[in-house]
Amino acid sequence: MAAVDLPAPGRGSGTMPDPAGPVAVGGFSLRVFDAGLACCAVEVSAALRRCAELLADGGAGSAVGADLGDSAGPGSAPGNGPSPVNVLVVAGTVTDKLAPLVLAAYRDLPQPRRVLSFGACSNSGGPYWDSYCVTKGADQIIPVDVYVPGCPPRPEALVHGLRLLRDVGGE
Amino acid sequence: MTPGEVLAEAARRLPAARCVIETGVGAAETVTMDVPGRDWLAALAFARDEAGCDFFDWLTAVDELDQGFAVVVHLYSVEGGQHMLVRTLVPREDPALPTATGLFRGAGWAERETHEMFGVAFDGHPGLAPLLLPDGFEGHPLRKEFPLAARAAQEWPGAREPGERQASQRSRRRLVPPGVPEGWPPP
Amino acid sequence: MTTMEPRGASPAPQVQGDPGQAPRQGAAGPVGGPELLDPEPTGAEPTGAQPTGPGSAGRGSAGLELTRRESARSGSAGLERGCELDAGELPPRSRGVIGLLEENCTVCMLCARECPDWCIYIESHKQTVPAPEGGRPRVRNVLDRFAIDFSLCMYCGICIEACPYDALFWSPEFGYPETAIGALTHERDRLRDWMWTVPPPPAHDPGAPLPREAQAAGPGAGPAVESG
Repeated sequence: MAAVDLPAPGRGSGTMPDPAGPVAVGGFSLRVFDAGLACCAVEVSAALRRCAELLADGGAGSAVGADLGDSAGPGSAPGNGPSPVNVLVVAGTVTDKLAPLVLAAYRDLPQPRRVLSFGACSNSGGPYWDSYCVTKGADQIIPVDVYVPGCPPRPEALVHGLRLLRDVGGE
Repeated sequence: MTPGEVLAEAARRLPAARCVIETGVGAAETVTMDVPGRDWLAALAFARDEAGCDFFDWLTAVDELDQGFAVVVHLYSVEGGQHMLVRTLVPREDPALPTATGLFRGAGWAERETHEMFGVAFDGHPGLAPLLLPDGFEGHPLRKEFPLAARAAQEWPGAREPGERQASQRSRRRLVPPGVPEGWPPP
Repeated sequence: MTTMEPRGASPAPQVQGDPGQAPRQGAAGPVGGPELLDPEPTGAEPTGAQPTGPGSAGRGSAGLELTRRESARSGSAGLERGCELDAGELPPRSRGVIGLLEENCTVCMLCARECPDWCIYIESHKQTVPAPEGGRPRVRNVLDRFAIDFSLCMYCGICIEACPYDALFWSPEFGYPETAIGALTHERDRLRDWMWTVPPPPAHDPGAPLPREAQAAGPGAGPAVESG
């Protein structure tokens, strides 16, 4: 049996992942870009999936939809509402090697843009604050608007964080 | 091959190897084979071809202080369910081994990581560039003499004794947190 | 003795981004509730006599109630209600935030030492308690500052397990995001406010051994446990 050569891994087509959304919440519309770097990415995925379900579900979600006020139906940007705010959710450990990519993702984010730091690692380095190659928090390289504590935070904590983002100065 | 057969066959083909059967977690029996550096490739080839351990799991090193670095490879036989650990010691002053990528392509990135973390050179490796450390990183972080600088610089909240405002000078307790060598940072 | 000013903490336990949660009702009603709110009088030794924290909403629930009413009034209630979890849905022993029962704390510093993240900050000083009649003066530790930095905390629970006096408790509250990272360091008063959200301990699993206190007390002590 001989050793097998696998194709070398290649880079994707740019730094910006596909966004989740726009999600309309009472006139405040969001596009959430999940920079899922580590374990917190799983919780963010769970949160974004659940929010989409809640808005699309005709049964339990219909009462939810009715309360959205002047927003349009699920999954679509409001017609005469404000333009969606682009939120970069940094979820996971920001290592020194990956820090330039996080910065590039932030720079590629179109205005209006916000940054939400999700979990202990992107807040302050978390349990790996003393490591030789961990950036002690995403706010060392990009401006952060909201910090969501947890290790990992619950998916519902992301919704709390997005709500705080809206309350402190969404468009 | 059963573990006993592996031992017998290894004694025949690699007389310099020392083999031990260990029962690990979950009662999986692992054959641990210690070989001198010159038999490294022969041992890996034996494990793959004779013992049937054709699945390469990981390659890493352990800093054994005065003895040098112990480079360890974990191999597994998918058909036989047999685990093998192949281990060798390289001297600290000149840590070098032939590359295992000729036998297992999966060893490529593992050797890159072991090289940047411990400084072990793998002769014949197609490209021994750093894998996980950022550009310009100096030093080999997983060596025992590489201190956790952040821990030494930051004041440990536990250094205070109950009832004292700052780190106690009189305490008999160890006031240096784990991970920081005594007397570091140097004055 | 200087006390650290609470850093921007509001007096009521309402947190931005934490609306709408119904005050948690302990199943067995308040367990030693209001008595634990009074700070210990000078001269009394703090003891670990209270094995459980307040089990139900105590005085602090007024703040939660106000927050809930305010948020229900706002127009954008869609996602608000959708993603709420009430006490019944969160599993027991959920780890959301850590509360401090200051009365039980003797400033032994074990939690600060054992914390792997170094995120517990404790400052204290010694106070000599004058001798009562026929006694001698005693020295006790007085807590000046107890802060947990939740931006670093990894919610491992080692501090809660290490505390020999049951001064730290888990609470399932999870919605406390902040806009400033410094506000994620919760000081004594905010940690006490989390105590009102600590649920009563869940019932023992069937067939579980008795707690050590009951075993030490001998046969016939402790709650009746279903065997098998």
